[in-house]
Amino acid sequence: MIMTSEQQLKLQAFLDGELPEKEARDAAALVARDAEAADLVAELRNTRRALAGFEPGLKVPESRECYWSRIERLIQRLEPAPATAPSVSFFGRLRRFLVPTGAVAALVIVAAVAVLELGRPGVLARPETEMTSPDSAAFTYQDDANGTTLVWLSYPAESGFAEKAVH
Amino acid sequence: MAETDHSSAEDATLVRAARAGDTGAFEELVARHRDKIYARAYSMVRNEDEALDLSQEAWVKGWHRLKQFQGESSFSTWMTRIVINLCLDELRKQKRQRTDSIEEMDEESGGVERQMPVVTVNPTERLERGELRQRIDRAMDLLSYEHRTVLVLHEFEEMEYKEIARTMGCSIGTVMSRLFYARRKLAARLADLKAEI
Repeated sequence: MIMTSEQQLKLQAFLDGELPEKEARDAAALVARDAEAADLVAELRNTRRALAGFEPGLKVPESRECYWSRIERLIQRLEPAPATAPSVSFFGRLRRFLVPTGAVAALVIVAAVAVLELGRPGVLARPETEMTSPDSAAFTYQDDANGTTLVWLSYPAESGFAEKAVH
Repeated sequence: MAETDHSSAEDATLVRAARAGDTGAFEELVARHRDKIYARAYSMVRNEDEALDLSQEAWVKGWHRLKQFQGESSFSTWMTRIVINLCLDELRKQKRQRTDSIEEMDEESGGVERQMPVVTVNPTERLERGELRQRIDRAMDLLSYEHRTVLVLHEFEEMEYKEIARTMGCSIGTVMSRLFYARRKLAARLADLKAEI
């Protein structure tokens, strides 16, 4: 009998124990009555047995250390970098401390000087002021420190200034 | 600080320690299972240097995925799955890069092997273990990577058809077909090798 491809594959599945019970019984019956089927199963079985004894007993052709060292290198290369803060030198840490501290100290000094200066009498008052009024042709000079105010008025307007002191 | 001696610890203990970042524990796991992982890579790619690279890459991947290992299978089985997947990716990449030959197209369709006469004499009978290994090694070299991979997964990893299909990303029918032609081709190659002696 010439077997079909499907029958051949079924015989192999029978040999490998991959057929359901009913189909396995049918396959066994075919092998029992057909010489060609029996020869094919024998050939497949021989090959399977040969391979079962062949499991390659290969060994890594490198020493344990050498083999591991490459694996270790690859692991380290692919390892994500640990999320640690970069190390800072002593001077770096000192600078980190001094910069803000210095800034605060400078502000304190400026504020202290300002308070002291402002606290002195007459500081807030304008020491001297000059003012000109173009419309009136008058010129005023005020000195708060001395408590003096001078006003120049043009009289007559075309001929010069008439000076008047006010105390 | 003295290094911890991991040599007597069980795999599960070492996995827990490695998961917590202990590379010493992981190194012990590598030392224990490296030959198996390397052998599996070699059986698939058939090249020492590539097998070495892929097996080491698998360990690196294993380290980064340790948290995913739930202990449903043994650590060694879990690692083997990782190296198998890496090898499959590499073989697919290589296949895409080269032009498929007519012979490979024939292999995929399986048209040649279906007509091959059955090898009635066991070609590996009465062979020394070393000689048998050598012959199978040569015969395996002649298989396409798809056929070789199915054989490796079925015969060495003892995977069922369903699992092989999932691993290789193909149907169960394709797995059965590839396995059949791989076995038949291997039988014919072994017979040829016997005839040459």
